[in-house]
Amino acid sequence: MAIEGIMENVASDITSATKTLFETMIMLDLKYDNSFFEDDTQIKTDVIGMVSFTGKYHGVIALFCSKKFALKVASTMLMTELNEFTNDVKDAVGEVSNMIAGNVKTKLTAQYGEMNLSIPIVIAGEGLSITAVNNHPVVAETTLSCFSKDPWLMTPFISSGEKFDVGLLLKESSK
Amino acid sequence: MPKVLIIDDSAVMRKIIQRNIQQSGLLVDEFVEAGDGREGLEKATANKMPNMTGIDFVKALRGSGQKSNIPIVMVTTEGGEAKIEEAKNSGANGYLTKPFTPDQLKSKLGNFLLVK
Repeated sequence: MAIEGIMENVASDITSATKTLFETMIMLDLKYDNSFFEDDTQIKTDVIGMVSFTGKYHGVIALFCSKKFALKVASTMLMTELNEFTNDVKDAVGEVSNMIAGNVKTKLTAQYGEMNLSIPIVIAGEGLSITAVNNHPVVAETTLSCFSKDPWLMTPFISSGEKFDVGLLLKESSK
Repeated sequence: MPKVLIIDDSAVMRKIIQRNIQQSGLLVDEFVEAGDGREGLEKATANKMPNMTGIDFVKALRGSGQKSNIPIVMVTTEGGEAKIEEAKNSGANGYLTKPFTPDQLKSKLGNFLLVK
């Protein structure tokens, strides 16, 4: 199967894992749309929660969301109103990313053999930009850019009126 | 006096688990938190220990000869059958995959804790 097809299967696993997470531990409404390859090389976001994985395939699963949505999710998970972007909020975003990636890993392991996950990394700020380019330089609009030569496969979600995306970068590992 | 030791590297996850148990109606007198297996084992046995994974913690506690019969429920994102089997073989009494519902957590812990 071509890598694009495998990525679409993984995106389907991401959708299913995110849906399960929202039905169990976050308990907020959730709508989602079809996954698509992001044409825009710069993804504007406030918060990124990333987990990378290695194995037969390697890549990154990343949650892109607004600061407002990160606060909402952390408040719901901790059952307390949070208005400041504290370490608890970053920790909650990391856990959300970790739980999505962990569920995806379980499915990938069953299909492609043992895989390893990194610890989650959370990058937060306002008006950050993530850049995925094909070998040409891009001028960063804000303070942070993350470069990749491959496009993200994005799955868009809406919860509590806030849009967020879960992105996937995936490549076959060299033998 | 039922005491629950919650070990997770995420402070948020420790709080979530504690909050869920408090709201579940299970009888717990005291919660103790640890950020990793080493700290957890030190708090459980009062011995100094090296860094360790969850599985290492289970094996070390079972082999420590101190409070080695404490029931252990592993809560992890690793949901594959091989991981569950490894945890059980190491001596874990229960296994729960994240994300979990409050009822799923209560059901696992209810095997070892009384209801208020």
